Amino acid sequence: MARDWKTIDTDFLVVGGGVAGCMAAIPVLEAGHSVVMCEKGKVLDHCGSVGCGVDHYLTVMESGPDWDTPEFLMRHVPALTDGIVDLEVASRVIHEMPKILRKIESFGVDFTDRETGDYSRKRSFGLPGAYHINFDGTEFKKLIGQQVRRKKATVLMRTMAVQLLVEDNRVYGALAFNFRTGEWFAIRAKAVLLATGDVNRLSRNASGLAFDSWHCPYNTGDAQAMGYRAGAILANMEFTESTLTPKGFSAQGLNALVCEGAYFINKSGERFMFRYDEKGENARRAVIADAIVNEYLLGNGPIYADLRHLPPEILDHMAATLQIDRYTLPAFYEQKGLDFRTEPVEVSISELTIRRSGVYFRGSGLAVDTNAESSIEGLFAAGDCATVSGGIAGAAVLGHIAGESATVPIRDNGARALPAVNMDAAAATRAEAESHLSPNDGVPWKAFENRTREIVTDYVGVRRTEKGLKLGLEALQENAARESRLAADDLHGLMRVHEARNIRLNAEIMATAALARDETRTGSAHWRLDHPETDEEHWRKFVLVERGVDGPTTATLDSGRPLADAFAKRHAAADNRGILNHGS
Amino acid sequence: MAASVGAAHNPIRIDAGLCVKCDLCDWICPGDLIHHEEGNRQKLPVIAYPDECWYCGLCQSVCPVNAITVVFPEAMIHCRTDVTTLLGKVVD
Repeated sequence: MARDWKTIDTDFLVVGGGVAGCMAAIPVLEAGHSVVMCEKGKVLDHCGSVGCGVDHYLTVMESGPDWDTPEFLMRHVPALTDGIVDLEVASRVIHEMPKILRKIESFGVDFTDRETGDYSRKRSFGLPGAYHINFDGTEFKKLIGQQVRRKKATVLMRTMAVQLLVEDNRVYGALAFNFRTGEWFAIRAKAVLLATGDVNRLSRNASGLAFDSWHCPYNTGDAQAMGYRAGAILANMEFTESTLTPKGFSAQGLNALVCEGAYFINKSGERFMFRYDEKGENARRAVIADAIVNEYLLGNGPIYADLRHLPPEILDHMAATLQIDRYTLPAFYEQKGLDFRTEPVEVSISELTIRRSGVYFRGSGLAVDTNAESSIEGLFAAGDCATVSGGIAGAAVLGHIAGESATVPIRDNGARALPAVNMDAAAATRAEAESHLSPNDGVPWKAFENRTREIVTDYVGVRRTEKGLKLGLEALQENAARESRLAADDLHGLMRVHEARNIRLNAEIMATAALARDETRTGSAHWRLDHPETDEEHWRKFVLVERGVDGPTTATLDSGRPLADAFAKRHAAADNRGILNHGS
Repeated sequence: MAASVGAAHNPIRIDAGLCVKCDLCDWICPGDLIHHEEGNRQKLPVIAYPDECWYCGLCQSVCPVNAITVVFPEAMIHCRTDVTTLLGKVVD
């Protein structure tokens, strides 16, 4: 091994220290195996997606009523996802929800209402029961992260994984660098989990500030990009997600508003949501976002969230809990001079993200099977970068499934030597990365990223047509041609260069998948102006994307089948090679 | 508190009189914006990349002496963007 590399051998490499990553690390550590975790931030103590604590947690509890059973919720999953969902994976996640809730409670997380001592369960986002526990989750992630620390995982903070190590469709580690120290790591592992979340900084928002985003702007589709480059199959990448936010600040908190009974009104003061859904403001997030988009396009903006009709005790409760999801939201209202008790709050549509298109249990990202394993053997994915995603709870459950499943290759590969890292190839990766620190004729990464956002906003975002998507794809590819000249001022900037490239690649994958799906589905999550109808006859299908010779290529799979069917043959082929290798 | 405009906007205001120069804000910032030399009790933390702030306020929430205030820029507080410009161009 080269002297200026830090080489690490471990059982399980986890990329991303959010809820999914931590919940995956825990069962592996419990089984007595070693874990190395790469984390760009230091988010062991808070959630990867929302930065702070959490204020709601979706779960089945099996508390008695019929609606509170996995079977009941599963019956509604096809309708919740407009028929595009991996039912086998969703079923395993939903069935394991009660077990994982108890496990998290065993870490000391208190899901009950401090005043009543009971679980405060609320019905929202179009779900067919009161599945959301509303609670003060300020300590939620801290207590989960504590388990990872106590069980002695090695956590590499401020460290970005940039490339997977894969041989014969089997993963054996990753290359990473610390952007504070400049140290490079070659990490070999018997199994790898990617849990880096969704894709942000993808399109323009109201404030025009790239890092003012609803979800964490430092989640930049690193898993999707690394997996794609290594040959993994992705699915559902055509769907976007947005939400409504206080105009000017892409902050979360919609769930709290909706649960407490906010109305959405347009410039005429009309409470318009019932024109879009019989559930009104309690419709699915995708329907709410879609309705707001439509109202703005009809010229009915500005749109407001109106709380003035609510009783004082509810308003007091809201004022007291405003900061749980986003600590600075009270300061924003204060600096704006806005009192939501007496005046409506103007709202905007947020920037777009590739996440789970506003519906539960349909994720956009690396296609996974019921063990959370991707099409690359030993490579797992969970959270918002995997094809079954369901907020914090989805990340916790699928993450835990990934960890439990990973103990199998860790055990089975115990005797098998991992491939040696090709240090010439690793050195080339590093040299290419470091060339951005002193480029000739450099392109600032911010300008490059802005260009990606312009293209996505104008041609790939909300209102899609074949012509527009093709224009967008062409422009994204033109932008890619500038990647070798991207310029960073320092190591921190080098990390941003990698993020900017990952964002652009995700945008290209999204545009390719959106072009393939020539129908409209889930409203503005995939709205094709040239194919405005949902085509149930031809499009109850997943769009799969993988790396082709000239860029992303697509295929389709009937959504009645599990995504694992798309890569079962690959695994069988790899297994056969394994057997042959053993015999020789 | 007045908010400044444009690229120079610093969202993370540290009260030099209150700051105890611990490392917590550097440690918690998810975007690697705040840099402070570990253990140096003489130097204030530096907001190295102010335009990459998420306005999450974790630095403010963790500061043991309430020395940090998050200040929103004009573009956020008095946002005048026409929302329809975020909804794409129609290409027939």
